[in-house]
Amino acid sequence: MSRIKFTKDEIKKLALSTMGLLFLLYVYFNFFLGPLTSSRIAALEAIKDRKAKLDGSKDEITKATRLEQTAKNATTRFAALKALNPEGAPIAWFPPRVKTFFANQQIDKATARLDKNSGFKPGDLSGWTRYSWLIELPQADYATLGKALAEMENSEPLLAVTKVTIHTSPDQPQFQKVDLAAENIIMEKK
Amino acid sequence: MALHLNLLHEEISEQRQRQRDPLKIGMQVLGALGILLILYYMWNAYRTLEIKSRLSTLNHNWAKVEPSVTAAQKRVDELNGVIKTTRALDDYIDNRFFWGSFLQKLSECVAPNTQLTSLLGTVLDDNKGVEIVIEGVAAGREPRSVAEDLRQMLLEQLKQVYGDVKVEFKSLEDVDQIVIVGGSHMAVAHYTLNISFKPNTLSKPVASPTPGRGRKK
Repeated sequence: MSRIKFTKDEIKKLALSTMGLLFLLYVYFNFFLGPLTSSRIAALEAIKDRKAKLDGSKDEITKATRLEQTAKNATTRFAALKALNPEGAPIAWFPPRVKTFFANQQIDKATARLDKNSGFKPGDLSGWTRYSWLIELPQADYATLGKALAEMENSEPLLAVTKVTIHTSPDQPQFQKVDLAAENIIMEKK
Repeated sequence: MALHLNLLHEEISEQRQRQRDPLKIGMQVLGALGILLILYYMWNAYRTLEIKSRLSTLNHNWAKVEPSVTAAQKRVDELNGVIKTTRALDDYIDNRFFWGSFLQKLSECVAPNTQLTSLLGTVLDDNKGVEIVIEGVAAGREPRSVAEDLRQMLLEQLKQVYGDVKVEFKSLEDVDQIVIVGGSHMAVAHYTLNISFKPNTLSKPVASPTPGRGRKK
């Protein structure tokens, strides 16, 4: 068996061929096959995602329909609570409303002024604002006041009286001077 | 044995030399490998195109249902928000302190020979309770015991409705004054009562009843 002996020129050519082959493989895998493979992987991922979305879409629609039915009470109640407060700045409508309310309860000269307002912490009541009011009733009778407060607590569910001060009035013994601090929560109109 | 004369020895050896030219062999190997790689690439490209075609079909299907799904998701979020907000509002409404019922209880406890001169009531933050300070005067042969009766009565009545009820004298002092109650001359004591309780521990009033009777003067 004769051994192949390469000449110097042949070795040079072989080395060149090997280098060419390696370069070819590098170009092939990096610039041709690589992008193709990554494109295929991305497409497979997208298929997986779309399939999951398509499978979940029916559930989402069913869920929405079911929730719509179960949340009927909540939506009705929410709409009713929202409708309790009229449009516009509360400072414009709340004091006249208080004055009218107490006048209807036989308590005259009621005045209300805004003390402060603050938003709720982000959470369930974000979008609602707490308005604190100071209500003065200079001529109130204890029994009438009690009835009026009870009526107010029943008719204004979003209003809470946080402080009550009752003093006898020395110059008008038949009346008491009453100061109320109340807070009302109002939805911010967007 | 026949004699062979190779007259083309040089040409044949040159041809053999050409045939085993490493560059030529290398080029042939490279060519074959190139063809294999092209075939492999084409097979991959075919698979990719087929996958992309499937993706395109799915995208088309998704585009058809996406608006309704997005709308459904938006509606679900909206409804969940409404439910949470309504629950929070209901909690707020239920946790209010109803002054109407308290004033009624208070009026029921005040006897004809006691009088309230001031009331300061505060609902503490975070449902910590309610604190009330009432001032007044009590008249009787023993005005201090009349004031004590009022304290006992308040404690008893408020315990029926509220939790953790405390009714304590902040001050109780005799006053140099004589008043006429029911035609009798009586001594007077001035008292200050501190009342504290937790409104929602026993029962939640659904609606506050109106006070039954006015304050005794």
